[in-house]
Amino acid sequence: MRVDPSYSSNLVGALDQSQLNEQQLTAELSSGVSITSLGQNPVASGENVLLLNQIQQDDSFTQSSSLVTGQLQVADSTLGSVVSQLTQAVSLAISANNGTMNASDVKSIGNQISGILDEVQSLANTNYQGQYIFAGGQTSTLPFTTSTTTTPATTTYNGDDDVNHLETPTGQKIQLNVPGGQIFSGAGTNNVFAALNNLVADYSSGTVNTAQAASDTQALGTALNYVSQQRVVVDSSITQISAASGAVSSQQTQLTTAQTNLMQADFATVSTQLSLSETQQTALEDVIAQMDSQTNSLFSKLQ
Amino acid sequence: MGSISSAFDLISGALNADQAALSIVANNVANANTPGYTEKVPNWQENDPIQINGVQYGDGVTETGASSMRDSVLSARLDQQQQLASASNARLTALDGVQALFTPDSGSSGSTAGDIGNDLTGFFDSFSSLANSGTPTNNAMREAVLNSASTLAGNISNAAASLSTQRSALDQEASGVTSQVNALTSSIAQLNQQIQSTSPNGDAGTLEDQRQEDLSQLSQLIGINQVKTEDNGLSVTTTSGQLLVSENSSFQLTSGSVSGVTHFFVGTADITSQLTSGGGELGGYLTARDEDIPSALNSLDQLAYGVSTSVNQLNNTGTDLNGNTGSSAIPLYIFNEPTQVAGSALAMSVTMTDPSLVAAAGAGMGTGDNSNAITMGKLANESLMQPIATTDFGVSQNLNSSSGSATSSLQVYDSLGNSYPATVTYTNQGSNTWGYSISVPDALTPNTSVPGSVSYSLGTGETVNPGTSLTITGNTSAGIAATIAAPTVTSGEAVGTAGPPATGYVGALDAQIAAAGITGVTVSSTGGVLTISGALTTAGSVIADPAASANATGTLTFNASGVLVSPAATVSGITFAGLSDGAATLNLDWNLNSANGFGTVTQTAAANLQSGESQNGSGGMSNGATPIGFFSNFVSTLGATVSGVQAENTAQNASVTQLQTQNDALSKVNLNDEAAAMSALESSYQAASQVFTMLNTAMESALNLGTETAVS
Repeated sequence: MRVDPSYSSNLVGALDQSQLNEQQLTAELSSGVSITSLGQNPVASGENVLLLNQIQQDDSFTQSSSLVTGQLQVADSTLGSVVSQLTQAVSLAISANNGTMNASDVKSIGNQISGILDEVQSLANTNYQGQYIFAGGQTSTLPFTTSTTTTPATTTYNGDDDVNHLETPTGQKIQLNVPGGQIFSGAGTNNVFAALNNLVADYSSGTVNTAQAASDTQALGTALNYVSQQRVVVDSSITQISAASGAVSSQQTQLTTAQTNLMQADFATVSTQLSLSETQQTALEDVIAQMDSQTNSLFSKLQ
Repeated sequence: MGSISSAFDLISGALNADQAALSIVANNVANANTPGYTEKVPNWQENDPIQINGVQYGDGVTETGASSMRDSVLSARLDQQQQLASASNARLTALDGVQALFTPDSGSSGSTAGDIGNDLTGFFDSFSSLANSGTPTNNAMREAVLNSASTLAGNISNAAASLSTQRSALDQEASGVTSQVNALTSSIAQLNQQIQSTSPNGDAGTLEDQRQEDLSQLSQLIGINQVKTEDNGLSVTTTSGQLLVSENSSFQLTSGSVSGVTHFFVGTADITSQLTSGGGELGGYLTARDEDIPSALNSLDQLAYGVSTSVNQLNNTGTDLNGNTGSSAIPLYIFNEPTQVAGSALAMSVTMTDPSLVAAAGAGMGTGDNSNAITMGKLANESLMQPIATTDFGVSQNLNSSSGSATSSLQVYDSLGNSYPATVTYTNQGSNTWGYSISVPDALTPNTSVPGSVSYSLGTGETVNPGTSLTITGNTSAGIAATIAAPTVTSGEAVGTAGPPATGYVGALDAQIAAAGITGVTVSSTGGVLTISGALTTAGSVIADPAASANATGTLTFNASGVLVSPAATVSGITFAGLSDGAATLNLDWNLNSANGFGTVTQTAAANLQSGESQNGSGGMSNGATPIGFFSNFVSTLGATVSGVQAENTAQNASVTQLQTQNDALSKVNLNDEAAAMSALESSYQAASQVFTMLNTAMESALNLGTETAVS
């Protein structure tokens, strides 16, 4: 049987292949990544794109939720202060209308309520990072301004009724703001500023219309309750965001694990393969060296 | 009876034969490493015996030359396999370059640059962050949106540019193959001539070695078939049959630029597509140039088109930080708005420089609203905008100041890419109102440029739609003019053929003409074209006007300043049924921007992909996937192509190695064999020499009659 006399070139081809294999395995070990080109594992490459996208979306949400929680906490504490102020105003209004105070005291209480009005307005005009948080969508417009050209004075809401939402990666919508118009200038008896302005008007002259003052005080009490209810919305959003953020973090961890398993090199397997490949290479080199050291044709035997 | 003299002749012949054989062995050893050399073996032939007095005596040996150890079937098989391996090798090298542009991101922080998948996520996340921050007016976050848009656009555009560069490089490489192919085919033709004149009936040895080596080299370059012809000649064709070498003539391969890429010709025949599928290095280059890279570019174009148009459209309808909404005059586009899918990736760039123009707020909302930013962020998880056929036409005349009527013309397209000249007619109805009517005329109009006949062009396999207003007038045998109304056709009826027997609509029309006694009028159908010849006149058409929907007509109302107040924006659901292709109804939307601006007719049921290029601004997202889903699918598909070609290449190379081993075993010089032959020939030469010496001694004895003399 005739044989291919140039078999050593096949051995060199095998040696090249073995070296290429070693290069690939060494690259995997040094980078820690098992898939360095699309052709190595097309399905995993495609899956990797989707996983990374989801992980980054989750990461982005986690960052956003911590930012927005800060804003909601400012809103919550502001409304807490408003509630305190209004509670104090209701007490003052009741005490001024109990028939025991003289005109000067009543007037003084009127001034105190006026101060509370200013304070509440200032709180309603709170801004966070330069944006008014109770202006609806008009976050660059001062939400509340008061005109004293009328008696009682008139406080106007300059914002709008826009409500912003945060959307979680699962599609849940969480309310991010309560428009100031809804909190402070609600319809009917839910209008904080109207109630405060009326009380200021009631007591500023020192002469009290008892029935009117009682009615206005009651209106302020109703408005106070309404503000408290609106505060619950803000608190609820904080709780929801915290829960969503926890769920997203947990999902992110799972996804990261999946992505790591998909893309990262299995060091034990790669090391074993590398070792095998090195053995093969050494064997091939030895065979080639052996062949070179021998005179490999019958000509060497001819005399 | 044999004599000593004849023994002398016999043995000296043996010595000559041994010398000749030794010379062949020496030549083998000398050419042991010559590419293409096939081992030669000496041919020994026993001389015819001599009969003397009824007794046969052997007459020695003659060496009649050398035979090449060649198996032409095996060589041809090796060449064929080499063509496939070369093609997949060249294609794989090109694909390696392509896939290097889309290296998978490991997810570690250092490997995110240039990854379009990450860019897409980062871009849409920037909208979500802007929305979810609670302060969508935040300038830094708006700036982040534009920055991530720039990164995305830059990387998509760079990838497209790199692909184009790779395509040009492949084009140049392919072009360079031409001269090598021509040199080889010329050489083969020349060798054919020499072989036919020197060895018409047998192996031509060295000449044939050279020809086989040329064929082998040619096989690495292009896909070929080889056919043996008379007198040991050879014809070479491309795998699809284009003649390259015919005996002693070769046909030069030329190249020239067609639509910006190199095409290949033999004579005037463009054989580019044949060479693409044929194999060889050139086949691999052309497959990568014309299929793999355009496919990757097309995917990037679709992605860029989808992202750009979807984002631009949403941003344009939202409210920016200045409280403005985009208009046709001042659009709020973040990306360069593409006009068509092709080229979208390369042209992708961010045109918006002012972050306050990012329309985070919804239409009609305050600037602190975030609803539009949420919607734009959610684009990451929604299907990319389906590109649609759009035809812009200008209502450039101010209708309010016009009187009477005005018309605008535009081309619209059906689902096969056929275009129709639609017309919008405006009629002044007074009191600042104008009636409008959008119409698409007969789909098929007679070709009146051919005297005495009329043709209606229908595409192959298309059918005639219902409705007809065609009349045909011709003479009867008595010379009297007679007119028939062409028969009503049924829905989906085929155009048919003239037969016999005539079928379909042609058959029905033919029968009616015969029934009316009209002579000299023939109806035929070739390649889907219905032709009526010899008629005196024809009027009307086979196809009725496409049926328009009710909202193809209506009224435009303007205010005293000439601003359109009704309809508010878009007239939808304008449809035309019964077009020539019998496919989906032509479906238009009419966008009305302003009385003095430009209206846009938008086709919502646009063309299929095959005819996409023929349309203005059309194309088609193949799978309606999300941007990231589309990109994921793209990398998987590209990876699968690379992996497939890699596996193919490995298998083909293994097959080439096996065949090469078989061929080498037969044809390559084996030094062991040569040493053995050398040794055997040496022994035989020594033996012959010895015989010669002994014969000499015997002759000496004979001449001296047994006495030692001076004759020796």
